[in-house]
Amino acid sequence: MDLSPFEKDNSVSCRLASQIPDVCKMEDCCLGIDEAGRGPVLGPMVYGICFCPVSKKEELKSSKVADSKTLTEAERENLFQKLDEANSYVGWALQILSPNTISTSMLQRTKYNLNALSHDTAIGLVQYALDSGVQLKEVYVDTVGPAEKYEQKLSHIFPGINVTVRPKADSLFPIVSAASICAKVARDRVVKGWNFAEELGDVETDYGSGYPNDPKTKAWLLKYLDPVFGYPQFVRFSWSTAQTLMDSKAVAVHWDDDEEDGEKTAQRQGNKSMLSYFGASAGGNEQNHQTHRFFTERRLKSLSTL
Amino acid sequence: MAAKKKRATNVQNDSWVVVAADSVIDTHSSDSDPAFVRLRNPSTDAASLYMLSAGDKQLFEVKAFEEDFHSWFVGQTVQRDGRLLFVTPMDPLYLILPYLSKAGKEGKFQPVNQIVMDEDFPACSRLLSCTRSLASLLHIAEEKEMGSLKFHRYSHEKTMIWLQKKVERTVVALKKKNISVGEGVKSTTYIRVKSESDHHEEDYLRYAHGLISEYISEDLSKALLSHLQLPELTSPKETEPPSKKRKLSDKPVEAGEDYTKLNSTDFARKPPKKMTAAQKTLSKVDKTGMKTMMSFFSPKVKAEKK
Repeated sequence: MDLSPFEKDNSVSCRLASQIPDVCKMEDCCLGIDEAGRGPVLGPMVYGICFCPVSKKEELKSSKVADSKTLTEAERENLFQKLDEANSYVGWALQILSPNTISTSMLQRTKYNLNALSHDTAIGLVQYALDSGVQLKEVYVDTVGPAEKYEQKLSHIFPGINVTVRPKADSLFPIVSAASICAKVARDRVVKGWNFAEELGDVETDYGSGYPNDPKTKAWLLKYLDPVFGYPQFVRFSWSTAQTLMDSKAVAVHWDDDEEDGEKTAQRQGNKSMLSYFGASAGGNEQNHQTHRFFTERRLKSLSTL
Repeated sequence: MAAKKKRATNVQNDSWVVVAADSVIDTHSSDSDPAFVRLRNPSTDAASLYMLSAGDKQLFEVKAFEEDFHSWFVGQTVQRDGRLLFVTPMDPLYLILPYLSKAGKEGKFQPVNQIVMDEDFPACSRLLSCTRSLASLLHIAEEKEMGSLKFHRYSHEKTMIWLQKKVERTVVALKKKNISVGEGVKSTTYIRVKSESDHHEEDYLRYAHGLISEYISEDLSKALLSHLQLPELTSPKETEPPSKKRKLSDKPVEAGEDYTKLNSTDFARKPPKKMTAAQKTLSKVDKTGMKTMMSFFSPKVKAEKK
């Protein structure tokens, strides 16, 4: 697996793929989808697909691919090696969603939540397989959100393909297990060799599992918190763990789509209290001078002091 | 974002982001530096910030662009106010005018350095050092020479003519810069099918008058308006509709509308209400992964971690 396209710029989403086996363009194929790194506050989320001809399903089973979570790292690497070598009939593709992509999606003005991002990534990968000429007939997916709805959505987008969405699909269907191994291996490698774009000097790489409840991860997050910038792009800013730490330890940053309320905001926005309309004619007290709209439209003010 | 962030009070800055003409910082002909000075604003009668170039040769006004949610990154530092200061040339006569006008009430010719004095703003006498000041006094005052001494007296007629010229030149500038002077707001990206030629000359005059009024007292502004033969705009208050209260009368009360038709058989019941546009868009929102409102009220069940 050549990760260099992603490592060149790890702030964006990146697709890696194997060669498409010729047999997959001729015969009916099945495809499995799984993801790795959904929960951690650190590092990317990786989506993987694996596909092979329906007729070769049994062969895949005999190669003992299993749910990636039941395997050690060494076993996973080993199995990925096997999958990659079986390139005469097994193909794979990965979408690495950088932590920066996740942060900016979830925190943008119109929120794009993780489920929607996951669904769209999965759909994108299936489309990639179709566009590459893979004769897809069956798709197996580990669910994100309610399985039934997800299945309906996918069936609707890909008519003519038999879509099966199941929780724990990675232990039920070998092709999903294979996809999960590809995704997990890619994530492990990316996290281990993360190139920090920021100038941090020698970064401590012992950040634990990257899950919010891991004490090592928490300690690392505390150590690398910058009061102005927050975190390196390795951290998912949209995770509440990161947000809570920034709220308490970093400088407050205000955006114009922050939800604020209370009197002060109202005053800042120039809103008048309802009561002011009922008071005795407040005309005389107010400053009579009204700045011309040439200036107010351009947000220009005179100053009395610097 | 649920966390409430406190707005810290503004800390005084010792640096500013300024846009200024080169002539502001041109110091080679003088030993003094350009300086910010507080002078009486002729329009508001309160203190405003101005700048005098080296040797008090030239007067500049200081305007600040100020909008919420802005900050500067300057080199390796952050400046929390996103203010942008503009230092632009200004005719010193505008600031001298109020002093002359006030002294003019006595009707006497006086030496100008006796007129332009202000206990609150001692810097105002420096206005007379500006290259343009003494020469342009002719525009607003009559002059008498006694030996080597010059005496001045405010002239309302001359001032009106001078201000009218200012308005006319402003109109030229407004047209040249293509500034929208009509009623209502125009976006610069909004393309009008109708040409702008339907703007009346009066709109330009009024707009220019408003702009010039930012630099003169309210009384002068009104005098200028009639000098330009522009009628004062009627205030919107007078056009308010009369109150709708009904008069009491002794006559028996009758229904204003015939409600009996609602009971008749040919009154067909309306089909169930259609959804409003807002309800429609709401119903289209992707609700996958969202909790129902009810779920927040049932006893908490710890969600299984994946």
